[in-house]
Amino acid sequence: MNAGDLMHYAVLLLYLTGSGGHICGMLTRKERPRLLGGVLTGLGFALQAVSLGMMLADGHALASGEFYISLLSWCLLLVLFILWIRLKLSFLALIATPLAMIMLMGSRGATASNVQLPEALSGLFFGLHIGALFCSIGLLAMASAAGLGYLMLERRIKTKEKLKGAWAAMPSLDSLDRANRTSVSVGFPLYTLGLISGFIWAGFTWHRFFSWDPKEIVAVFIWLLFAFLFHQRIALGWRGRKPAKLAIVVFALCLASILIINFLLKTHHSFA
Amino acid sequence: MQHDIHLFGLNHRTAGVEVRECFALNDQERFEQCAQALGSAVNEVLVLSTCNRVELLVVSPRGEDVTGKVLSCWAGTSAKTADDLRPHVYQRSNLEAVEHLFSVAAGLDSMVLGEPQILGQLKQAYKAAVERGQARVVVNRLLHKSFSVAKRVRTETGIGSSAVSISYAAVELAKRIFGDMSDKRAMLIGAGEMAELAATHLVGAGVRSISVANRTFERAEELASRFKGKPLAFAELFSKLPDVDIVISSTGSQEPIIRARDIKGVLKKRKNRPMFFIDIAVPRDIDPDVNSLDNIYLYDIDDLKEVVEGNKAQRQMEAEKAREIIHSETHKFGQWLTSLDLQPTIVDLLGRGETLARKELKKTLRRLGPDCPDEVRAAVETMALTLARKLYHEPVCFLKRRTREEGGGEKFLDITRRMFNLDEETVPDDAHMDRNNGLEED
Repeated sequence: MNAGDLMHYAVLLLYLTGSGGHICGMLTRKERPRLLGGVLTGLGFALQAVSLGMMLADGHALASGEFYISLLSWCLLLVLFILWIRLKLSFLALIATPLAMIMLMGSRGATASNVQLPEALSGLFFGLHIGALFCSIGLLAMASAAGLGYLMLERRIKTKEKLKGAWAAMPSLDSLDRANRTSVSVGFPLYTLGLISGFIWAGFTWHRFFSWDPKEIVAVFIWLLFAFLFHQRIALGWRGRKPAKLAIVVFALCLASILIINFLLKTHHSFA
Repeated sequence: MQHDIHLFGLNHRTAGVEVRECFALNDQERFEQCAQALGSAVNEVLVLSTCNRVELLVVSPRGEDVTGKVLSCWAGTSAKTADDLRPHVYQRSNLEAVEHLFSVAAGLDSMVLGEPQILGQLKQAYKAAVERGQARVVVNRLLHKSFSVAKRVRTETGIGSSAVSISYAAVELAKRIFGDMSDKRAMLIGAGEMAELAATHLVGAGVRSISVANRTFERAEELASRFKGKPLAFAELFSKLPDVDIVISSTGSQEPIIRARDIKGVLKKRKNRPMFFIDIAVPRDIDPDVNSLDNIYLYDIDDLKEVVEGNKAQRQMEAEKAREIIHSETHKFGQWLTSLDLQPTIVDLLGRGETLARKELKKTLRRLGPDCPDEVRAAVETMALTLARKLYHEPVCFLKRRTREEGGGEKFLDITRRMFNLDEETVPDDAHMDRNNGLEED
């Protein structure tokens, strides 16, 4: 086992104990285990940043799928920490930390990629493409996590069921809705930016902006849905259940497109 | 133990309201009278009198029968005799009395299980006893302990964590929906007693403003002024609804006042911001189909009652945990009570000296090393032990002298125990702050 492996497992362990902390905090309705979970996750987050840096310094990182999936899980946690501090919603960590852990575990499955390395000129757009898209997927994950929490709690309040134990520890409907709103209104511009920079990069690298790659078609479709959600939310004042459901659908599509297209289909986006 | 602790009481379970009224010691004069009369008959007295209970805590010299004295003093404050009082009164002695007082302080004996009000009343009663000079070593210790036991019960069990009144349950639900209440506006439709109670809780939760709509405008004005709110004419109701987040309705109307079709337009104007309707009127003021709209939550009186019943059942379960805490604390208090005598205190004091001496001796002998001759070791040991004994000689003589005096000198025993920390308690730095700011905090 080399240093990279050791780090990988250490990060996984930190995320696992961090998730445990959040679950305990939820069940016992105490703040301390959650904070502890947050600190452990934060340590893992820092360690993962180091590990990502090392992979990048190694030189082969940009051609390996492992790097991208690991980066995606790191972006998810980055988004989580920002939302946690901005909105004081430790609830999101309950979903984000295990999700990041699973992504990181899966990253080992993605070994080689056939992405052509970016030429010097287009490095900026490639970085922008990956960074913006991954952050927006992280935000989308948080929007749908908040949406899921909202839908479950809303149903219980609406049907007048008792709010005992972990239910009583959940944040209020209003703050879950606000988390969804923030994530969507930041996530959509980022997604757009990621998409456009991808096309520009493709234009520089392959001399055509759109190549009818399945990933690209799905991405445009997701963008349309995301745009609809963004518009309804910001302009028409959608609140509560509808945007929560739509955010979950959009995120599920994103996840499916990563799992199916990037791993199973042979395209220039595939990881395996 | 040089004392007997007796507790005499009557509460909502042992006596009907007319008996409690008759023997209540709540108005100042009767209260003073009873406490004074008792104070001259026994060593220490504490009188707690609330609308649901009277408790008399009496500390008397050991073996003395005080029942007759206490009951006649008590009955003397009313026009009745001790024999009228006797069948309603329960009596507990020593550790049973301690356990009962702890339960009362923790709210386990209250009509609403776990309600915190009684603790404040007990603090008042203790303050009064201190001011009259009727609280000495035992009552001081017992009351401070019961305050800390009540605090422990509150933090370690969930006995006070859920709402058991309808209006409070409604406000708790509002918090689940809105979270931060400081930018929320509430409206009362109808100005009944229930509405007023709910408004009190809403203000407590920190809502931004309260408006009151009522058919008779004067009543609306009256209620609104009490909460610094705004009175509304009944006709303005629907035009003001879009600004309101929480609506509490309690009118005597036979027909529903608010229906789903009225609310649809309101929601559009509010840009779908959520609304919470609380309908505590019977028959209902708000049509149940309002609840089917998105972002609208409607609870009627039955829904809230169900929440409250569930919470009450949960409190019962938590009360079991609380009783265990009280039981173990009572046991600890019993140990302290037994040790508050000359012999045990001397034993503890000398024992403590010896323990310290032996601890230091061990360190010194280790430092002297293995080559040190045995006679030196023996000499050092003798010196350490003698020093410890001699140091405590004067305090012991002092205690012996004082305990021969009138009053048993347990005040000095108590001080000694605390000064040398013979009960090995952890005392926080601010433990005695209450002496400076008038017993406000325990």
